[in-house]
Amino acid sequence: MRGRRVLGVAILSAILLGSFPFAAASAPRIYVVTTTTDLASLAQAVTGELARVESLIPPAVDPEAFEPRPSDLIKLKDATVLVRVGLGFDHWLEKLLILHADPAVQRGGLGYVDASIGIPLLEVKGRSIEVTRRDGHAHGLANPHYWLDPNNVEIITGGIAEAIIRVAPELTQQIIVNRDRFLDRLRTRTAEWQQTLGPYRAVPLIAYHNTWPYFARRFRLDLVDVVEIKEGVAPSPARLANLAAVIRERMIRVILLEPYEPEEASQLLARRTGATVLRLATSVGSRPEATDYFALLDYNVGALAKALAAVSN
Amino acid sequence: MLQDVIAFAMLPLAAAIVFTGIHTWLGLQVLKRNIVFADLALAQVSALGATVAVAAGHAPQSAGGFGYAFLFSAIGALFLTASRNFARTVRQEALIGVLYVVATAATVLVVDRSPQGAEHVKRMLIGSILSVTLEDLLKLILLYGAIGALHWFVRRPLLTFAQDAELTPLRNRGAAAFWDLVFYLSFGLVVTSSVSIAGVLLVFCFLIVPAMIGRLFTPKIGFSLVIGWVAGSIASAAGILGSFLLDAPTGAVTVVMFAMALALAGCFRVFVTAPRKELKSNRRTGMLASGFTLFAVLGLSGLWVIVEPAADHPVVALIETTTGLLPERFMTAREREDYLDALAVARRHTTEVDRLYALERRTRWQGEELSADEIRRIASMQQSLTEMGRGERFVVDYTRARARERERWYIGIPLIIVGMGGLAWMLWPLHGFKRVRRLRTKQ
Repeated sequence: MRGRRVLGVAILSAILLGSFPFAAASAPRIYVVTTTTDLASLAQAVTGELARVESLIPPAVDPEAFEPRPSDLIKLKDATVLVRVGLGFDHWLEKLLILHADPAVQRGGLGYVDASIGIPLLEVKGRSIEVTRRDGHAHGLANPHYWLDPNNVEIITGGIAEAIIRVAPELTQQIIVNRDRFLDRLRTRTAEWQQTLGPYRAVPLIAYHNTWPYFARRFRLDLVDVVEIKEGVAPSPARLANLAAVIRERMIRVILLEPYEPEEASQLLARRTGATVLRLATSVGSRPEATDYFALLDYNVGALAKALAAVSN
Repeated sequence: MLQDVIAFAMLPLAAAIVFTGIHTWLGLQVLKRNIVFADLALAQVSALGATVAVAAGHAPQSAGGFGYAFLFSAIGALFLTASRNFARTVRQEALIGVLYVVATAATVLVVDRSPQGAEHVKRMLIGSILSVTLEDLLKLILLYGAIGALHWFVRRPLLTFAQDAELTPLRNRGAAAFWDLVFYLSFGLVVTSSVSIAGVLLVFCFLIVPAMIGRLFTPKIGFSLVIGWVAGSIASAAGILGSFLLDAPTGAVTVVMFAMALALAGCFRVFVTAPRKELKSNRRTGMLASGFTLFAVLGLSGLWVIVEPAADHPVVALIETTTGLLPERFMTAREREDYLDALAVARRHTTEVDRLYALERRTRWQGEELSADEIRRIASMQQSLTEMGRGERFVVDYTRARARERERWYIGIPLIIVGMGGLAWMLWPLHGFKRVRRLRTKQ
């Protein structure tokens, strides 16, 4: 009886001892938490198998109206690297970080990445400022949808790679290799996307929300106006009448809409003017086709080119 | 442009008038039953149904979607019918409140997993009356026509049993429950369809405000209905046209217009068409209340500018702009120069920020593309100009505050004198009450 117990303990110890180093080797030490799925996709591209990457905002949820859940607090608590959009886009994160996160992923910490740093920002109105108690750093708020320009991805992934290297210097070589490989592929694809939308250079468009300035700049599109001037406030009838006049005058054929935006106002304009409403994806996962960053741009460029080809025939 | 304006306004206006038509009638019964928030609760229960339908894979406008919404609102109707019996111990309004919050919370839980959840909840609240289609309107007319006709035939029992739970005799409870169910089921159908177009806020106005206006003038249901229809149609037209003129969202402007219609009707009732006996005292009370408010505001504004000259002073600012007695008059020559200079520089900065913005926008698609560094330079200039503009505004605020420090004695003391003097003048006749009491005690 006693011999059996000893044997049992021995087997159990062997299993534990045997499995422990294995578990330590397979579970990545780096846990990257991002606010959006786009940043998660880019972080995954940089880290590959070296890190576990998760996004706080689920796909296709309006990031500006996101409400965190208890599971998000656990993610923040465990994060070794935190990547955010910044520019007030994920403003709800500030308080959560102070309350629940490790100092290393708070502003100024080794694992903190504000992906907007270094981006050539568009529409800097500076009407409100972001001031932190720690460094008094303030910057004017700009349009925050900068990830929709593939050329900005080099800067975004640069910030992510630097943070991971700061936290885990032993991964430097692999991170650099991963990022270079990703950027090479991105450059080729960007050239292809530009070629696809090349025939539609300077084509006038209207969008529901002001999401597309970076996309428009990269693919040389003329984003004439937006339907919704203030976030969440329905456009007035006078504004819709004005827009209808602009659509006719500039012969605008396509109205861009995000997956989670109300379509009533855009459909009303479309019915009145004969334009087409096209839903594009603003984030990875916001449409079933947009499974990662490449697929996101693939879908947007493809759908827009198809819609523009259909209306120009 | 004008054609667009007419096209955008006609259908929403027609829909608003159709909504007023059926909701005023239902609202009169709601007021009689003393269950003002039942529509919110039923609308929310039906919204929960619509949300469950979406989660189960049905499109919102499909037969499946409508089926779910109506099934849920029928369950809500049953609950409301049953709640009348509970209401002997607890107020029915309290149970309706519970139904509302539970349905709202359940909707949030159901939509939590769906991507467009938050948008869906917001849409239920605000609606989109502006984008109503001709097809929607025809459906509404058919549905409301059928319900209106049914209610016309059964109006007597409906109205007989539409009274507070406490007043229903015990032996009539079965009949009361039946007619309650008929009322709540048809009410649920109407609210399900109207909330999906106009949103909860506006539907609440259509339901309660015209009915209240009608009831202000007459207890007779027929006359109340006609007055409510006229007032509701005028308020709808003012709301929709007002939203064109003010360039503001239609739903919100219409709600404000309904509130204004109610306030105007209330004043008309109290000061013009009240019984002769009350008329004189009403007018006197009205004058007293408005005079009291006016003089109190003037006196307190005077006091506030003396205590805190650098704070916000809306009344003083209004007096300044109407009389031309602007703060510049109380500045030294140097301060005035700095003040006007800062205003001009701030304006120049704003113009420059806008010019840079327009330039950047144009180069997105026209001519040579700007390099990343050029974009950064523009962004940094915009940022610096905005910061500098903020500095200029600080100078404006500072010099204005210095001017107000001197101005406060010239404007604050007269305001206090006018305010206090006015109050004393108004309250003095009330002293007469004491004389009346003294006379009575003598008798």
